[in-house]
Amino acid sequence: MLPALRRCRPGPVPLPALAAALGPGPFPALCPGWSPRAVPARGRKSRHDPPAKSKVGRVKLPPPVDPEELLVVLERYRQHRLVLNALRAEFRAEVLQKKREERLAAAGSLEEQEEHRRLMAWNDEENARQRARREERLRKQEEEEKRKKLEIAEKQARKMEAFVEEKEKEVLQLQEEAKNFITLENLEARIEECLDNPRNYNFAIDKDGRIVKRTVLS
Amino acid sequence: MPMKGRFPVRRTLQYLSQGDVVFKSSVKVMTVNYNTAGELSEGARKFVFFNIPQIQYKNPWVQIMLFRNMTPSPFLRFYLDNGEQVLVDVEDKTNREITEHIKKILGKSKEMLEKEERERKKLSHPATFGLKKYHLRECMCEIEGQVPCPAFVPLPKEMRGKYKAAVKNEA
Repeated sequence: MLPALRRCRPGPVPLPALAAALGPGPFPALCPGWSPRAVPARGRKSRHDPPAKSKVGRVKLPPPVDPEELLVVLERYRQHRLVLNALRAEFRAEVLQKKREERLAAAGSLEEQEEHRRLMAWNDEENARQRARREERLRKQEEEEKRKKLEIAEKQARKMEAFVEEKEKEVLQLQEEAKNFITLENLEARIEECLDNPRNYNFAIDKDGRIVKRTVLS
Repeated sequence: MPMKGRFPVRRTLQYLSQGDVVFKSSVKVMTVNYNTAGELSEGARKFVFFNIPQIQYKNPWVQIMLFRNMTPSPFLRFYLDNGEQVLVDVEDKTNREITEHIKKILGKSKEMLEKEERERKKLSHPATFGLKKYHLRECMCEIEGQVPCPAFVPLPKEMRGKYKAAVKNEA
């Protein structure tokens, strides 16, 4: 209601000057009058439909206003709003203050920082211990590996030695046998020898390998 | 509802709410570097598989990132909001030990959690009733000791409007 009343306040008239011609109503001296161009509220009709014939010549006037009452009411509303806004600002500031204090208390209190530092120190110690354990483990692993490598090398060496020995033995054996080989020179002599000494292979052996009986060479 | 994954119990609410690591409000990011193979990363792998869902459930605003096979040894790194970084070496530790460790250094203590719980309780009064979102009970008929809901137990006829109106009309 109140913004509409502002138009009725005594003072310069913002509306078109049709006041005198229309004869506005209860307070001809003061109220500037209502323009008949004020469009009625919509309802069933759209803005393009013309008003009804029964409404021709209708002049709508605003509700009458008592200026003293108006002044009193305005003053009271002003004071009320002033007080309310002041209260709101007061409460807002209080809440912000509380929030700020809470945040500070939660984040920056001394003992909490102390606690945090202590825990970080403990964590660092734990990391150091872990590092020590890890280094120990790595060292052991390295030693283990070295030992294994040595072992393998030794085994290889031993294998090589054994191999070489074997080969040597074979060579020696061959050399021994080479003395009994039949060559072109002693071919004749060896043949003579064989023919002179016939060997008898006619014998039977039992399961233990001993010769059981011999038959005479025919 | 089919069970999904190798250990579907990890997806149950009961399992998730059993996690007891609630980080302090200064922890913002948690990063886990671990390896998918190797005896030493076993604890870290188990931690990632079993305990990280619990931690994320209890700390929905902490970003957790996993990096696989980037470093030879596994570790955890926490980034706090004042820029500090906390390194936790987890090589050769079981997942239980890892959780105990981080609970000790960066978790809220039991007293703090209880205090927060009490603060939260103070905000709402358990005796009021109203919308389910804000109160425990919706209607007065749900409160023990009060008149039961007429939908289930009809009111005695002296309390019903039609009886009272009939009596008034008679008189």
